[in-house]
Amino acid sequence: MNCEVCQLKELEVESFEIREVLRCILHTIVFHRALGLIRPKDIDLELFEITYVQCGEIEVEKKIDEKIEQFINWIEKHPNKKSQICLSFYEVKSKQPSWFTNKIERLYWEQWYINLNVLQPAKPPVGKSHHSKLVMDPGEASEERSSRRTLLEQSLQEVLFQIIKFVNEKKDHVPPINDGVIYCPFEITIPSSSDSAFGMDMFKRILHSGHPSMLG
Amino acid sequence: MSSSHNRSNNNSEGAKAEQIIFEFFAKSLHIILESRTPFMSSRNFSGDQMICSPSSSSSSSSSVRPRDKWFNLALRECPAALESFDIGRRSSLEPLVVDVVLVVRPLVGDQMNLSGKGELIRNFSGKDYQSGWNSDQDELGCETKNEQIIERWVVQYDNRKIRESVTTSSRRSSSNKLQVMYKKATLLLRSLFVMVRLLPAYKIFRELNSSGQIFKFKLVPRVPSIVEPFTRREEAEMQKFSFTPVETICGRLCLSVLYRSLSDVSCEHSTPMSPTFITDYVGSPLADPLKRFPSLPLSYGSPPLLPFQRRHSWSFDRYKASPPSVSCSPSPTRSDSHALVSHPCSRHLPPHPSDIPTGRRKESYAEEYPPSQDFSPPPSPSAPKHAVPRGITRTESAPVRIPAPTFQPKENVVAPSAHLKLSRHASLKPVRNLGPGESGAAIDKLFLYGRDDFRRHSGVRPSANSSPRISFSRSSNRSFQDDFDDPDFPCPFDVEYDDITDRNSRPGSFDHRGDIHEPLDSSGSYPKKSQDAAVGALVRMLKKAPPLRQDVSESSIPEICWNNNNSNKPAGAHEIAVASITASGIALASKTTADALEELRSYKEMKNHLLLSQSTSNPSSVTTSPFDV
Repeated sequence: MNCEVCQLKELEVESFEIREVLRCILHTIVFHRALGLIRPKDIDLELFEITYVQCGEIEVEKKIDEKIEQFINWIEKHPNKKSQICLSFYEVKSKQPSWFTNKIERLYWEQWYINLNVLQPAKPPVGKSHHSKLVMDPGEASEERSSRRTLLEQSLQEVLFQIIKFVNEKKDHVPPINDGVIYCPFEITIPSSSDSAFGMDMFKRILHSGHPSMLG
Repeated sequence: MSSSHNRSNNNSEGAKAEQIIFEFFAKSLHIILESRTPFMSSRNFSGDQMICSPSSSSSSSSSVRPRDKWFNLALRECPAALESFDIGRRSSLEPLVVDVVLVVRPLVGDQMNLSGKGELIRNFSGKDYQSGWNSDQDELGCETKNEQIIERWVVQYDNRKIRESVTTSSRRSSSNKLQVMYKKATLLLRSLFVMVRLLPAYKIFRELNSSGQIFKFKLVPRVPSIVEPFTRREEAEMQKFSFTPVETICGRLCLSVLYRSLSDVSCEHSTPMSPTFITDYVGSPLADPLKRFPSLPLSYGSPPLLPFQRRHSWSFDRYKASPPSVSCSPSPTRSDSHALVSHPCSRHLPPHPSDIPTGRRKESYAEEYPPSQDFSPPPSPSAPKHAVPRGITRTESAPVRIPAPTFQPKENVVAPSAHLKLSRHASLKPVRNLGPGESGAAIDKLFLYGRDDFRRHSGVRPSANSSPRISFSRSSNRSFQDDFDDPDFPCPFDVEYDDITDRNSRPGSFDHRGDIHEPLDSSGSYPKKSQDAAVGALVRMLKKAPPLRQDVSESSIPEICWNNNNSNKPAGAHEIAVASITASGIALASKTTADALEELRSYKEMKNHLLLSQSTSNPSSVTTSPFDV
């Protein structure tokens, strides 16, 4: 089975925006992969004038929120870093039983890479040389912030469009709809304690599932 | 054999495919309409499925409508919207075009139309929704210049590629193809669902939906029967997004949208109407101050109680100069109260006062007021007599809830009585300019008047003329009895002078009404305050007055009352009584008090005279004579 990969446009976010941005993106992707009977739920973002859709499954929401919290914790420990979150959809196949192998195998058929550049919020000036600028800061800062926010909103919308386009263009690899399965099983991979470990983890997974597209 | 089998298979597959196509059209339309018709969207219900619209909640989680199963997408039901388009009659080869039109209304001119048209569209009910659509057809004529198509959705089934698709994928089994087609259509519809929320029009929809303000524009989705193609310029202004077509057995399902960018759309936003424009509508609380008050106790706790009552007094006072006009007042409250109580009110008087003390109010009401009576208009100033029955019947029906709020600081009791209380005022006014809010005092005073009147005119208690009195006494009997039964009754009335006097007068009135022959042993229930005591004493004295005339042997009782309660300040008590009476707009009661005192004096004189005459016959007893006055 082919594993389609989508690299989403990088977003520059501040740490307080991570939660909303990730929720929006992850839920939108999962919604497109929830092919069972669902009752969509519209969610208005608080920071942006964007409405995204959830599939309405509590487990999905819980899982996504948990991972986002983990990611935010990781970001706090590793500031100013570009990071990647991977949302992978897989199918579960039972292997031929043998002595030393797991009976259940995950076959990844789609992976979404969400690229975030987490910016540190502008720190208040510390040195005396900046002191004179302090008076002007609030207005400038808010203006800058709002323009940055607008840019991020646009970028986020672009990412959502990107998801829609990808979903539209790539349909063949999506497994057939199974009765009773509300959403395709997925996992969310966040950077672990170190980037290298994250990479290693991904590498191991790729080797394990043996996706040609990932190796390529 | 095998070929015929294949053919039948093909037929059934074809039918299935056709059904999928049809349902795809329907679902697409549903998704678009749902997200473009203000107050029809799932977003109103999306936050929590439990607060879905009736239709949606009824179908929530547990129940699944057949249509929801299509493409595994459960949408909020708007069958009227779908039926109004009647896509069933459409040929599947015909493209389905949905134009989302931004209609800008003239600021003032369309205000009235708004209620007729815009509101219909907002309305949740399918019927109204449908009529909203019909009205849009009218608008096409009159408001075309103010319209702008901001989105054009085109759903079409393209069968030009039949041969190609058949030939390219002829190897696949048709059932498998159907499955794939269905899956792809499902995916496409999910994309559509997300897409409609990303486009600029959704922001307008959101704005229209979320705020309670009236905008000078509205969003109207239309399915034009004749599609006017965009001009080249128009098309250049618009952006296009084409979903990847879904290949079917014999064609492909195409979905595309032309939309205006946000800047184009947002320039159409207008300043919302001032909300005060609406709040002034006829019948609104702002339009009629009286209307506000009945609702106050419902929304608040105890504080509104007193303002509420005072407001009544005030409103009555304001209208006092022409009481009958009040009873005819077209104020919504009154009409409301009328609606609540007037049907019984408009019926005739109880046939005979002898029925009155028996049974419960409702029962007696049912007995006394046959339902076949005329529903007369509110009493006119020239017909105060006629007004009396209304008043009586109102009080008749009112005491079920009225008494407690009038006298007790119990907000939970106050609330439901608001309308009734007003109605009671209205009914009382024509009678004798009675105090409005202080119905206890009013009834009390009315009773006093009644007695006075009775003494002057009839002289016999159960007369036809006395029926108003009796009815009042009946109602007040009941209500006061309720008050006394209520453990909350002794709550301090520490707020209003009026209330104090009300309360003071209550025990007396209770005594009067409760049982006229009841011995005067209820002094323990009198309030401890000196004013209360004074008034209580006065009332008791008044109560004692009539028998004095009939039975000279009881002439000493008033003295006892004075001595027991406030022997020092009978005049003060009298003043209080007068004050309360005048405050309530009753001048008659003071006259009654004066009469009673006068009567007392005459009794005392008589007594003195007798004693003197006795003393003349027996000089030793003169020294023991209890001359107090």
